[in-house]
Amino acid sequence: MSKSGFGKMRRRDVLVGMGAAAMGAGARAPSVWAQAAEPLHFVTWSAAVDQVKSHLTAFEQKTGIAVDYSNSPWANYRETLVTKFVAGAPIDVLWVSDSWLPEWADAGWLQPIDQYKDLTRYNGDVTDFCNNSMSYKGRQYGLTYYSDHMAFYYVEDMLKKAGIDTPPQSWDEVTEQALKIKQAGISEYPVMLALARETWLIEFLSAMVFSQGGRFTDEQGMAAMETGCLDALKWVVDAVNVHKIVSPGCVETGELTGLKAFSSGTHAFALEPQYRMRTINDPKQSQVGGRVKQVLMPKGAKGTHATVGWMRFYGMTAQVQKDKARAENAVKLIEWFGGKADGAYAFQKLVFLDIGAGFCTKPLYRDADIIKAYSTYGDAALVEQQAGFARKKDVVTSWFGEWNEINGQVWQEAILKKATPEEALKRSAEAWNKLKKEAS
Amino acid sequence: MTGLSRSFPGAAPRAWLSRRFNYEERSAYLLLAPLVIVLGGVAVFPVLYAFYVSLFRLKLTRPGRVPFVGLDNYADLLRDPSFWTAVGRTTYFTLVSVAAILVLGLLIALLLNQAFRGRRLVGALLLVPWAIPSVANGLMWKWIYDSGYGALNGALYQLGLIDKYVIWLGDPAKTLLLVANAFVWKEVPLAAILLLVTMKSIPADLYRAATVDGANLLQRFLHITLPSLRPGVLLVVIYESMVAVRHFDLFYLLTEGGPGDATNVAAWQIYVESFRDLSFGSGSALAYLLAIVTFALSYAAIRALGSRL
Repeated sequence: MSKSGFGKMRRRDVLVGMGAAAMGAGARAPSVWAQAAEPLHFVTWSAAVDQVKSHLTAFEQKTGIAVDYSNSPWANYRETLVTKFVAGAPIDVLWVSDSWLPEWADAGWLQPIDQYKDLTRYNGDVTDFCNNSMSYKGRQYGLTYYSDHMAFYYVEDMLKKAGIDTPPQSWDEVTEQALKIKQAGISEYPVMLALARETWLIEFLSAMVFSQGGRFTDEQGMAAMETGCLDALKWVVDAVNVHKIVSPGCVETGELTGLKAFSSGTHAFALEPQYRMRTINDPKQSQVGGRVKQVLMPKGAKGTHATVGWMRFYGMTAQVQKDKARAENAVKLIEWFGGKADGAYAFQKLVFLDIGAGFCTKPLYRDADIIKAYSTYGDAALVEQQAGFARKKDVVTSWFGEWNEINGQVWQEAILKKATPEEALKRSAEAWNKLKKEAS
Repeated sequence: MTGLSRSFPGAAPRAWLSRRFNYEERSAYLLLAPLVIVLGGVAVFPVLYAFYVSLFRLKLTRPGRVPFVGLDNYADLLRDPSFWTAVGRTTYFTLVSVAAILVLGLLIALLLNQAFRGRRLVGALLLVPWAIPSVANGLMWKWIYDSGYGALNGALYQLGLIDKYVIWLGDPAKTLLLVANAFVWKEVPLAAILLLVTMKSIPADLYRAATVDGANLLQRFLHITLPSLRPGVLLVVIYESMVAVRHFDLFYLLTEGGPGDATNVAAWQIYVESFRDLSFGSGSALAYLLAIVTFALSYAAIRALGSRL
C-alpha cells in the first residue's frame, strides 16, 4: 500500500538529494541511501486488514517510515512464513502465534525484543499470561496484537425451562444439568463441543484439561497425561457414549461449525473462544442472540476455573536486527501497533471495537468505550475474571505440530470407542516423549 | 569450401550433424527441443530433485541440520505400521471407487448410446459433476453430509427413512465410503464419455449380424459390446486408479484424515508430512513410495484386464 504512496515519493526525492549531497562530501552515502529507501516489510495473516491499513497510514504519516504491508491467509500462514524464512524473503516485522514461537526462535528466524526499552515498558500493563506467552527461554519476543481464551456459555432460558436456576460450576454439574435438559426434551445434545481435527482442537482440549486441574506436560517438559488430562478425556467419552449429552458428531464439528450449531439454538451449553460472544449474542447473526450468558469455566474434581489462553503478537526477525537503523524503525512500528500510538492503546482498542478481538492489556478493561461495547453482549468484569484464569498451552514446543496430529487422532479414537482413554493418552504421551527426545 | 568451413569455429560439429541426421530429422529435433527443455525443467528435474531430497533428513523448521541419511527415510516408512495402514486404506478406496466408476460409467454410456428423445440434454446434465471444480465439489459434499444441517439428513428425514439425524462423516465405519461416493460422483461422467466414445466405434454390422443369428440383448452385450470396450475399460481403470490413489482434495475438505485415522490415506499422509510437519525429506520418500504403488496398481490392471477383456 505504501509503495505507491505520495509520502514515499517525497521521501524518496529527499533521500536521493541527501544521498547525492553525501556522495559529494565523500561519505558512505550510497549504502545509507539504499538501506533507508527500502521500506519495512510487515507481514500479517489476513485479519483486520482494513484496520491495519488505516493504522499503518497514520504511522507512515507520523514517522515518515515507509512500510510494505502484505498478508497471507491464516490457514497456511505458518507454512508460508517458514518457506519465506528459508528462502530469505525480506520480512522485518510480523504477526506471530504463541504456538510457533519455540519453532521460529530455535530456527533463529525470530529475535528477542527485550533489549528495546521502548517496547518492554508496556509489560507492566499486560497480564502475566500474555507476557509469558510472548517469552521463550527467558527472553521476550514480542508485543501484544491480541489475546483470547476459551469461555463457557449457556442459553439462560433453556436452563430455566428445565428448572435450573444456577449455571454449572463444575463438569459434574454440566452433566447433571445437560441430562435434565435432555430429559425435558429441550435439546437432544445439550452440550456443544467442537472436536474436529483442525487447528482449534488443541485449544478446546487444553481448556478442558486445565479446568480439570490437569496438564499435558510436567515441569521438565515430559508427558504428564495420567490425571487431569485423563479426567477430561473420560468426561468427553462418557458425555458422548454414556450420557449422550454431546453429539457423536463432535469429531466432525470444527470451531466455526460449532459456532453455527450453538447459534442455531440446538444446544444449551458451549465451549467457544471468548471473542465469539459478540456473534453469539447478536440477534442478527444468532437465533439465541441476547439469551446467552457466560459462566466461569466448570471445574473438575481437582480443578479450578482455569482455561486456555492464546496470544498473537508482533515479532521482529533476525534479518532486521542486523541493521541498527532498520531495527529502530521496526521498534517504532511495533510500538505503534502493540504499544501506545499517540499516548493510547489505539490499535488494540480499534480491533476490539471493530471486530471483537480480545486483549490482555489491563487498562483497556477500564476504558469507557470498551465497557460500553461489552455491555451490549457480555459482562466485561466476568471476561476479565476468566482471563485471569487463562493459562498458556503447555505443549508449545518446536515439535508441537507433529505431536498435535497424533494427539488429535487418539482423542478422537477414544471418543469413537476405538481405544480406551488410557490407551489413547498412553500413545499420545509416548509420541510426545519420543519427539522431545528426537528434538534434543 | 572445405578449407573455408574449417576456418570457422563450430563448423566441424555442424558438418557432423549434417552427416548424422538429414534435414527432416534436424528440423524435428529443433522443433521438439523447446518442449523437451520445458518438460525437463518442470517435470523431470523436480522428480529427480525430490528423490535427492528424500535422501536427507530435511525439515524446514530445522535449518542448518540436514543430514544425509541415504535410504533411511524409506526404511523408516516401511517399518511404520501407520504407513501400511494408509496403503491398505488407499487400496480399498481405489478398488471401491474404480469399480463403482466403471459400473456406473458403463451404464450411463449404454444409456447415452441409445436413441431417445432428450438424449443430448441428459448427456449435458450428466457432465455437470465433472465440470464442477474440485474444491467446490468438496464443499458441496461437506454441506450434504453435515450431521446437523446437511441435505442428506434433511432428505432422508423428510422421506421418513430415518427417525433422527445420522452422523455421517463422524462415523469411522462410514467415512471412507462416503468420501468414495463423493469421488465417484465427480469422476463418473469422464468414465462414461470414454466408454461411450469406444462404444460408438463398434461397427453396427456386428449387432445386425448377431441379431440375425438370434442373439438376444444380453448376448449381444456380453459377446460384442463388452469385448469391444476393452481399450476404453482399460483406459478408465488405469486413469481412475491413478487419480484415486493420489486423491487428496476430498480428504482435505471433508475429513482431514479423521475421524481418528479413518481416512488417513497415503495422499493425506504425504500432505501432513510435507506441508504440516514441513519434513520434506520423509515427505518426498513417501511420495516416491506412493508413485511405486500407483505404478504397481496400473501394471496389475494392465496385466489383468489386458488378457481377459
